[in-house]
Amino acid sequence: MSPKGRHAAGWWALILPAFLLMTAFYVAPILQVLAISVTEPSPGLGNYERLFTSESVQRVIGTTLRIGVVTTAVALLLGYVLAYRIALAGPRAQRWWLLAVLVPLWISVLVRAFAWVTLLRRQGLVNEGLLAAGVIDQPLSLVWNEFGIIIGMVHYMVPYAVLPMLSAMREIDPRVLAAARGLGASRTGAFLRVFLPLSLPGVIAAGVLVFIFSLGFYITPAILGGGKTLMVAEWIKLQILDLIRWGLGAMMATVLVVAILATLAVFSRLVNLRRLFGAGG
Amino acid sequence: MSGPAGHALSLQGVAKRYGDFTAVQGATLEVASGEFLTLLGPSGSGKTTILMMIAGFVEPSAGRILLDGRDITALPPERRDFGMVFQGYALFPHMTVAENVAFPLRVRRMARAERDAKVRAALDLVQLDRFADRRPSQLSGGQQQRVALARALVFDPALLLLDEPLSALDKKLRAELQEELKALHRRIGRSFINVTHDQEEALSLSDRIAILNHGHVMQVGSPEALYERPATRFVADFLGKSNFIEGEAEPDAGGMALRRGRARVVARGTAPAGRALLSLRPEKIVLLPAEGAPALAEDNVVEGRIAAWSYLGTGFAVTVETPDLGAIRVHLPAWRSPVAPAEGLAVRLGWSRDAAVVVAEDAAMAPQGHAA
Amino acid sequence: MGGYRPGWLNGAVAWATVIYLILPITIILPVSLTDQRFLSLPVHALSGEHYLRLLTTPAWTNAILQSAFIAVASTVLAVVLGTLCAIGCWRLSRRSTELVRALMLLPIIIPSIAYAIGLYRYFAKLGLLDSFTGVVIAHGVTGIPYVVITVSTALAAFDPRLESAARGMGASLPQTLRWVILPRIAPGIVSGAIFAFIHSWDELVVVLFIASRRVFTLPRKIWDGINENLDPAMAAVAVLLVAMTVLLLLLDLALRRQRRD
Repeated sequence: MSPKGRHAAGWWALILPAFLLMTAFYVAPILQVLAISVTEPSPGLGNYERLFTSESVQRVIGTTLRIGVVTTAVALLLGYVLAYRIALAGPRAQRWWLLAVLVPLWISVLVRAFAWVTLLRRQGLVNEGLLAAGVIDQPLSLVWNEFGIIIGMVHYMVPYAVLPMLSAMREIDPRVLAAARGLGASRTGAFLRVFLPLSLPGVIAAGVLVFIFSLGFYITPAILGGGKTLMVAEWIKLQILDLIRWGLGAMMATVLVVAILATLAVFSRLVNLRRLFGAGG
Repeated sequence: MSGPAGHALSLQGVAKRYGDFTAVQGATLEVASGEFLTLLGPSGSGKTTILMMIAGFVEPSAGRILLDGRDITALPPERRDFGMVFQGYALFPHMTVAENVAFPLRVRRMARAERDAKVRAALDLVQLDRFADRRPSQLSGGQQQRVALARALVFDPALLLLDEPLSALDKKLRAELQEELKALHRRIGRSFINVTHDQEEALSLSDRIAILNHGHVMQVGSPEALYERPATRFVADFLGKSNFIEGEAEPDAGGMALRRGRARVVARGTAPAGRALLSLRPEKIVLLPAEGAPALAEDNVVEGRIAAWSYLGTGFAVTVETPDLGAIRVHLPAWRSPVAPAEGLAVRLGWSRDAAVVVAEDAAMAPQGHAA
Repeated sequence: MGGYRPGWLNGAVAWATVIYLILPITIILPVSLTDQRFLSLPVHALSGEHYLRLLTTPAWTNAILQSAFIAVASTVLAVVLGTLCAIGCWRLSRRSTELVRALMLLPIIIPSIAYAIGLYRYFAKLGLLDSFTGVVIAHGVTGIPYVVITVSTALAAFDPRLESAARGMGASLPQTLRWVILPRIAPGIVSGAIFAFIHSWDELVVVLFIASRRVFTLPRKIWDGINENLDPAMAAVAVLLVAMTVLLLLLDLALRRQRRD
C-alpha cells in the first residue's frame, strides 16, 4: 500500500531537504573533483596518461594495493577467529566480546594512531620494555615504516571485519552443526564442510568492506608511515596542498572513488552497510 | 454515540489495476444507511482492496466512490471521517488504552474535557472502562479488538470499516464477539462494512453480503437469499456446501427438468433448453435404506450405495455413489438417523422439487468482467 | 550453539586479538598520568598535572569548545534531515527511494580525502572556507548516513499499519509523524545522533582542508601535536576523547537493550 500520486507528495517533501543538501554539498564537490581532473592544468586526459607513464604514480598505487591486500588478509583472519569465538559464546559473554569490538570501532582514528606511536616508537613503551627485559639491545624500528602502517590499519579494520562475518555466522542454524556431528563428521570436518561454507558470504562482505576502506585511508598511514611510505590518500594531499598540482591530485582521487564504487557495485549483493551499523548489541 | 443516522455509500464501477494485474474489476455496490454489509471472498478476491479504496488508502484506477451522493474518490484517508478496525487492530503500542481511543479526538484538536468524556463513553460502550490505563500489550486478543472498536467509533464516524476484525481470535471468542458486534451495530445505527473470508461470520452478522471472486462482485443479497438462491456455482459452493448436477434442461409442468443419463431430475425455476447446472444442498436430501423402508414420497428419488461417511457430532456426512448422477453428498442429523451408515450399503435418496436451484457456470459470468 | 565449543587455539587467538584491539586504547591512561615531562609510564607517582595543563591552556580549551559546538550543530542538522529522509524513503519504498537511500550512504563509502579536496575548491567559491557554517555543513552532510542507517533499521521493525490507522482516524502527516512514528523510532534516532556526534567530534581530514586559523577543532590540535611535539598532555586529551566515546556507546547499548525489553 505504498502511496501514489497526490498522497505521495507529502512523503517526498520529507526526503527533499536531505536530498538537496546532499546534492549541493556532497555530490557537487565530488563531481568538481572529477571536473578538475580533466580540465587542469589543461583540458584533456593528460592527467590520466600519468597512470601509464609516471613511475611515481604507479609506485603509489602499487604500495596502496599491497598494503590494502595485506591489511585485508590479516584483518579477515583475526576477525574471523574473533567472530567465531563470539558466535559460539553465551549471550552474556557475547555482550562483553562485542563491546571489545565496538569500542575500538568508534574510538577516534587519531587517538588510536597516537596510542600506537606511544607504544611503538624508538623510545616507546614496547622498545623500552624489551630493552629493560634484555630481549633486545638495540631498539627495533616498529613505526614510521610499512610495518607500522599495517599494525595501525589492521587495528582499525578488525572491527569492520568482525561485524559482517558475525552477522553471517549468527544466521547459521546451530542444528546443522549438531546434525553434521551426528552424521559422523569430526569437529574439524563439521567446521570445514558446514560452518565455513555457510559463513563465506560474511567473509566476502567483510573483505570487500575492509579492502575499500583501506584504499582511501589517510590519517593512520600519514602518522604511522612517517612520510616515508606514501599511500594514495596522502599522495593526493601532497599534490594538492604542498605541490599545488590540482589536476594530478584530482585525477588520483577520481581513480580512487571509481575503483571503490566499482568494487562495491560488483559485490553489492553481499555488502549490507545497514546491517553493519545495526549489529551493535 | 448519538448523532445523525447512518450514511449511505455508493461504489460506481470502481476498479483497481496494478500493472497487468487487476485486483478489482468495476465493482458497483450500494451500502444503505445503517446497513451491515459484508464483503466475503477467498484470499485474493479483491475484498480488502475494495475496503482500502473506500478508506482512501488505495486510489481507484477507475470509477467513483460517493458518500451520501458526494464524490469522495479524491479525498485522502484522513479527511474521510471513516472509523476503521484494522486487521491485527494496529493499536499504538506506546500509548495506553485511553490514549489510543483519544487519538482520533486529539488529531481533531478537541478540548480536553470533552475528549475525556467521549473516551469514557466509548470505553463504556465496549465494557473496557476498567482497562483505560493499560497498554495494549497487557490485554487479551478480545480486549484489544474491543479497544480497536472503541477507537474507531469514538469520533462518530460516518461509516465503520472492519478488516477481518475477528480473524485473529480463537473460535469460541469469535462467536462471542460476533454477538457483541451485532448488538453494537444495532445500538449505534451506523453503516458497517466488514471484510471477511469466514462464511459463517458473514451469514450471522450481515444485513447483506457481497460475494467476491477474482476481483468480481459475484452476487449481492441478504444471507438467506444468497444461501437459498445462489446465482452461480462459485456462490453456491463458497457459501455452504453444495452438490452440482449437470445435464440437459427441458420444460416441465411444475418448472423445469434436467436429464442426465437415464435419470430425470425436476426443479423449480426455468432454464433455456441446453446444458444447465443445478445446485442441491446436502442437508435438503432425505436418505433411507433401499430395503425394508417405506417408499419415498419425494419429487426426486434416486438409488445408490454409500461410498464414504464420517461422523460430525451433530450429524453424518455421507457420500452416496449413484449410477447416473455421480457422487452426491448428504448431511443427516445424527440424532435418530434413519440409517446406520456403512460403506457399501444400498440406499435411496429423495428431495423435493424446490430443494434444487438452477445456477450459472462461473465461466458465464467472466466475459462480462473481462470486457470491463 | 549447543554442544559446540571453540577449541583452545581459537580461544587464544581471539583473546590475543581483543588485547591487540584494547591495549593501545588503555595504555594511554597510565601515560597521561605520568610524572615525567615526556611520553612514558609513570615512574615515581601518578600525576594529574597534564590534565590540569590541558584544562588551563586556552588553545586546548578553545579547541574543545569549538569541537563541541560544531559536533552539536552538525548532529542536529544530520538528525533532522536524516530522520525525515529515512521516514520518507521507508513509507514510499520504491526503486527511486532505494536510490536515494544509496545516495545517502555515499559519505561512508567514498574516502574523506576525495570529498575534502572537492570541498576545498567548492567552499572557496562560496566563501565558506575556514567558517563554522562550512564545517557544520560538511560534518552534517557526512553525518547523515549514520542517522539514515539507524533510523531505517528502527523503521524496519515499525508496523506500517499504525501509520495507516493514524491517517484513517484523521491525523495529518505532521500529526502522524509527531504522535505515532517518531515516538516509536526514538531509540533509533538517538543511536543515529550518537554516531553522528562521534563522527563530527573525531573528523579530521575535511577540517584539515577547509579550516585554517579561525576554526581550530580538537582533532586538528591533536594532529598538530602528534606532528610537532609529543607530550603527555596529548595522552590526557586522548583519554578524554576515549572516555567520551565509551560513555556515548554505553548509552547507546543501554538504549538498545531497553528497546528490546
